[in-house]
Amino acid sequence: MSAPVLEARALAFGFPGRTIGRDVSLALGAGEVMCVLGPNGGGKTTLFRTLLGLLEARGGEVLLQGSGLKGLSRGEIARLVGYVPQGHTAYFAYTLRQFVLMGRTARVGAFAVPGAADRRVADHALESLGIAALADRPINEVSGGERQLALVARALAQEPRLLVMDEPTASLDFGNQVRVLERIHALASSGIAILFSSHDPDHAFLGAQRALLLGEGRVLHAGAPRDVVRADTLQQLYGVPVEVVALAGGRHACLPSLRR
Amino acid sequence: MFAIAPEKLLGWTRAFRTNEAAFIPEKYAALPELGRLTGRGNTANVEVVLRHRADLIVDVGSTAPSLMSLAAQVQEQTKIPYALLDGRLDATPATLRTLGRLMGEERSAEALAGWFEAELADIKTRVSRVKASDRPRVYYGRGPAGLQTGGKGSISVEVLELLGAHNVAEEARGGLVTVSIEQVLLWNPDVILTTDPGFWKLAWQDPRWRATSAVERKRVFLSPHLPFGWFDFPPGVNRLLGAWWAGKLLYPQAFDVDLRAKVSEFHRRFYHRAPTAAQLDAMLAEPGVLPQ
Amino acid sequence: MRAAPAYVAAVGALVALTAVAFAVGRYPVSPGEIVALLGAKLTGGPSTLPANVETVILQVRGPRVLAALLVGAALAAAGTAYQGMFRNPLVSPDILGVSSGAALGAVLAIFLSLNAVMIQLFAFAGGLAAVGLVYGVGGRMRGHDPLLALVLTGVVIGTLLGSAIALLKYLADPYNQLPAITYWLLGSLASITPRDLAAAAPLALLGLAPMLLLRWRMNLLALPDDEARALGVNTARLRLLIVAAATLMTATAVAISGIIGWIGLLIPHAARLLVGPDFGRLLPLAMVLGAAFLLAVDTLGRTVATIEIPPGVLTALLGTPFFLWLFAVSRRRW
Repeated sequence: MSAPVLEARALAFGFPGRTIGRDVSLALGAGEVMCVLGPNGGGKTTLFRTLLGLLEARGGEVLLQGSGLKGLSRGEIARLVGYVPQGHTAYFAYTLRQFVLMGRTARVGAFAVPGAADRRVADHALESLGIAALADRPINEVSGGERQLALVARALAQEPRLLVMDEPTASLDFGNQVRVLERIHALASSGIAILFSSHDPDHAFLGAQRALLLGEGRVLHAGAPRDVVRADTLQQLYGVPVEVVALAGGRHACLPSLRR
Repeated sequence: MFAIAPEKLLGWTRAFRTNEAAFIPEKYAALPELGRLTGRGNTANVEVVLRHRADLIVDVGSTAPSLMSLAAQVQEQTKIPYALLDGRLDATPATLRTLGRLMGEERSAEALAGWFEAELADIKTRVSRVKASDRPRVYYGRGPAGLQTGGKGSISVEVLELLGAHNVAEEARGGLVTVSIEQVLLWNPDVILTTDPGFWKLAWQDPRWRATSAVERKRVFLSPHLPFGWFDFPPGVNRLLGAWWAGKLLYPQAFDVDLRAKVSEFHRRFYHRAPTAAQLDAMLAEPGVLPQ
Repeated sequence: MRAAPAYVAAVGALVALTAVAFAVGRYPVSPGEIVALLGAKLTGGPSTLPANVETVILQVRGPRVLAALLVGAALAAAGTAYQGMFRNPLVSPDILGVSSGAALGAVLAIFLSLNAVMIQLFAFAGGLAAVGLVYGVGGRMRGHDPLLALVLTGVVIGTLLGSAIALLKYLADPYNQLPAITYWLLGSLASITPRDLAAAAPLALLGLAPMLLLRWRMNLLALPDDEARALGVNTARLRLLIVAAATLMTATAVAISGIIGWIGLLIPHAARLLVGPDFGRLLPLAMVLGAAFLLAVDTLGRTVATIEIPPGVLTALLGTPFFLWLFAVSRRRW
């Protein structure tokens, strides 16, 4: 059996002088989708940054395709993992095409300028997310949702085996949220492993085969969404009463019970 | 002031370096450095002046309104009388006389002023004997690159103007200006004078300067500088010697004087010490001072 | 793509300006004489021109024109790189203190009455040392955004160096050293010799080369650090390389020409308004524009009057209205 695309073993993560999470173990294979749920400040972003090597692990280890993260160069990591951060402040008016083209960095030489082949990959990424029409628009002139899709396109231009997406639906309207979740499905079926976080437990049901509940830096529960995302676990995670309702056709929905 | 009544001098604006101090009697050379009160880079502390209990502050230089108001201000502050006197070369005799009156030393001041007047008159007479066509065109280059020069009326080229020389930079009015080497080549001076030893060396080596008439004819000269600058700065009475020196260089026939004798006499009168032969050598033997 | 017309126009302007720069000056030289000299040099035949004319063209204008091109290109490139790296439109090449350090070096050399070559060496060393200090100190600040730490350290040390310069000006001999200091600080290309150019050109090119080679990668420094690293760039190393290259270029430029401001600040903006923020296109255009602009300014400053007008004064006087006009007519956003 081939090594999982992403594996964390007893990972402790945090900042210099401050460990905010420990004992996190997970494994993700090709084509698998995992959704990480947790409250604000629970450590989701810090965990993701540690998995990407942007923060040094405080303990344990991270493996990409079986190789320890520490021993990989940034270029090697970038050829394996695409990172979609939680939003982007646009300092300069790059066009979407120029922006997505930056995803080709790890695939071109150090002194090279991307060529026609790279531009084709970038254009294809834009098309697959339905924003090809915006290719020549400056990134600071498109909507937040379109910018988010551009971030995904850029990560796809890296031709990665794994996508790590930090709250990819956070600033999107309902329609765009759905579109992104559909994209995640399509990408997974093409063999890419996907790890994404969400503040909406429903997304675990809609988007993922596996769910991981991260509370106070620790893995509270991990497994298939229907096993792990339950009223009691959600209450434990978020501190508010929730009902998880089973619907026809095997689907589920989470409904908060509002205190009146 | 040192010239008129040295014992009344409290201190110098800048301390002497060893080779300069040798020209002044030791007890005066050893007077304290008090700094400058006005003008750019004034470093004197008014309190220092008060502590030394000066009876009179003497400032010789520009008498422009801005400096007059500055003088009035200091006088107001310290309650010490402030004498602002004209420092131009031409005005030296009058300034000496005024200073003598202020210090109560009319006799020694008159002696110096009279002598200075006679020297200036002598110079002017010799100059008048030189035909305009025999007067060389002079470029005065300052700074390490030699590209700063004095325009018409600039205090830097007072000596040149006293000597009636054609300052090639005349068309530039007032003050210190920067020019390009191209402009100098266009002017093509017959003589180049400078106060910067680095530039003096450069002029002989740099192919652009070598293209000038002056370098071709080997007429590039470096002004002596002991114990004070002779030509441009500081703009004081020492420039009389600069005038004799430059006069000899520009008009050798009209200025057939013994430079060493002139220097000796000036030092005796103004600095209260006749220089030894060795000291005269030191002043005049530097490369570039005299024609080879 | 749309960048092509801007390039063609810029390079065309540069070539035309260079030709004009050789042809004009205080010393009268006719275009015929220039052509004759060019012909003689190319064919190896004897030149029939008077020696002075040959001196003016080859020894005076030649180095000066080339130096203007070099310094203009270097300052524009450094400014472009820094504005991207620090993501800030108000950044100039001096943000890390290279000009202040070079100025201190030169002022110190003048204060010590050293010769012209030593003044240049001191300036060069001063510029490098200042940035080294800023990078060393700023890089040690843990727990802060690395760019912010650099900028703040740069500003602080730049101010410190400025006060040291002020102190030296204060203590300098007002008749001799102070004017020399003042003129050096105003900047000038008047005393550039072929030797200066021979020393400066390789150094400046040593800085320009890596920047040109890495120009596309520099786009990634405009992204937040996390994103750039996730895309495969070792940001700390790339930043260090860019800073080293920019510092080398700027220190060299300042050492031979003194302080000439505004080019590093305005030209990158003008170039960006023409072709957008992609460094792949931006950097070469900025260099061409910078070279052309400084050449134009310097040529003007040395021909218009008997005295030389400092290039730093003209770059501000001419550059600001030009830039405002460009900003007003451009449709492109910054």
